[in-house]
Amino acid sequence: MLRKISTALFILAGFQVFNACTTCQTQKSKDELTLPDSLVSDAPLKLSEELVGDVVQNISSPVEMAALIKSTGVEFSQKVLNNPDKVTDYNTSFKRALNLGVFSADLGYINIFDKNNIVVSYLLSIKNLAEGIKVGQFFDFNSLKRLATNSNNLDSLMEISVSSFNKMDSYLREQNRSNVSTLIITGAWIEGLYIASNVVEQTNNKELSDRILEQKDILDILLIILNNYNKDENFANLASQIEKLKEAYSKVKITTEVGEPKRLEKDGVLIIVQNEISHIEASPETMKAIMQEIKNIRQSIIE
Amino acid sequence: MITKKNTMKRVIISLMILLSLGSLTANAQCGEDVLKKALNEMGNGQYIKDFNIDIKSDTKEVKFSIILNSRSQYNFNIVNGSGNGENIVMELLDAGNVLFSTADGGKYITSAGIIIGKTKVYTLKFYTKGGGAGCARAVQSLVKQFTAEEMGN
Repeated sequence: MLRKISTALFILAGFQVFNACTTCQTQKSKDELTLPDSLVSDAPLKLSEELVGDVVQNISSPVEMAALIKSTGVEFSQKVLNNPDKVTDYNTSFKRALNLGVFSADLGYINIFDKNNIVVSYLLSIKNLAEGIKVGQFFDFNSLKRLATNSNNLDSLMEISVSSFNKMDSYLREQNRSNVSTLIITGAWIEGLYIASNVVEQTNNKELSDRILEQKDILDILLIILNNYNKDENFANLASQIEKLKEAYSKVKITTEVGEPKRLEKDGVLIIVQNEISHIEASPETMKAIMQEIKNIRQSIIE
Repeated sequence: MITKKNTMKRVIISLMILLSLGSLTANAQCGEDVLKKALNEMGNGQYIKDFNIDIKSDTKEVKFSIILNSRSQYNFNIVNGSGNGENIVMELLDAGNVLFSTADGGKYITSAGIIIGKTKVYTLKFYTKGGGAGCARAVQSLVKQFTAEEMGN
């Protein structure tokens, strides 16, 4: 009797341990990389995988740029976005990852402007591109579509779509696929700058111009990360395009006034005001040259 | 017979305890329920990102490098796992200098805001003061974007 009970409990304990490891096994089996192996394992890690992932994950928030664009008062324009019909043309993992980033920025822009009449076609593009690089499991298309077709749920749609991208990014980094993350983030970063450039051309808005110009420092980080994978020809080409953009940015002067942070409390919440002010100087010619380079890179990504 | 029964009881109780401990270890990470709570508590800002913090007994701290944009007000809030022996402290650092800490002046707060003056890489750091293990979910949200004029630039 004692032996039988003990055996039964040991079997149960075994199930517990098995259960605890199920998630990791599932993740491993799903990790079918479609990028060439050389991109996955041979990256000469001048930067650690951890650092690449950590910096990359927040290099650009499409939502922040979209919110800033909306605050200028400019009207929504679908013309500036990538065309969802083009998705079938992107038949390499490199192109798919870059354009997944492009469409994520477009989705952020669409969501901020509450354009739920076109959101489904963009969600479908994202789903197809994500599946093409084996990360489609993070996008529950049916739930997203349901949220998109009800205007009362647009906040939830934004939250879930941003969260899906964050989960996908974490998964890619956990699986040492930061190279794929890098491409998605680069695509999103360029698309955000491209949309912003279009608005600056129309409005000459200072906040947006400054946001574009202060990407000078971020560009350096992105370039280091892209060069991490420059053994691959595609990555090397993309890095050389970003180098041209860096050249255009070289005439931008950013100076910083440093001061002590201030503390204040609002509605019971502690708020720190970082008393550091950056001054950005750039001639209209420099701004024009930067925006032109952004357009060139964006064109080569989406074509 | 009595001895045999007692031994059997002890074995069963020991195994039950082992199973419970195993179950606790297996579910040590904070799941979607904790994230949902953090999202509910983030306030009226625009959700930007969430952080999954899992501090093990041999992990002193968890760090994330994040880029924050100038003239933007962000809020960071944290929800600790119900099984945490002590609260996980969240700190925002700029080049090693602490901008805010949720262990502020001896009391523990679950949310803090920051108005950023310069776009650059900042560090979000999580740790337990006593070095204990625990999990938490934190959320970064965008509260407001200021104009240069509003910021006095």
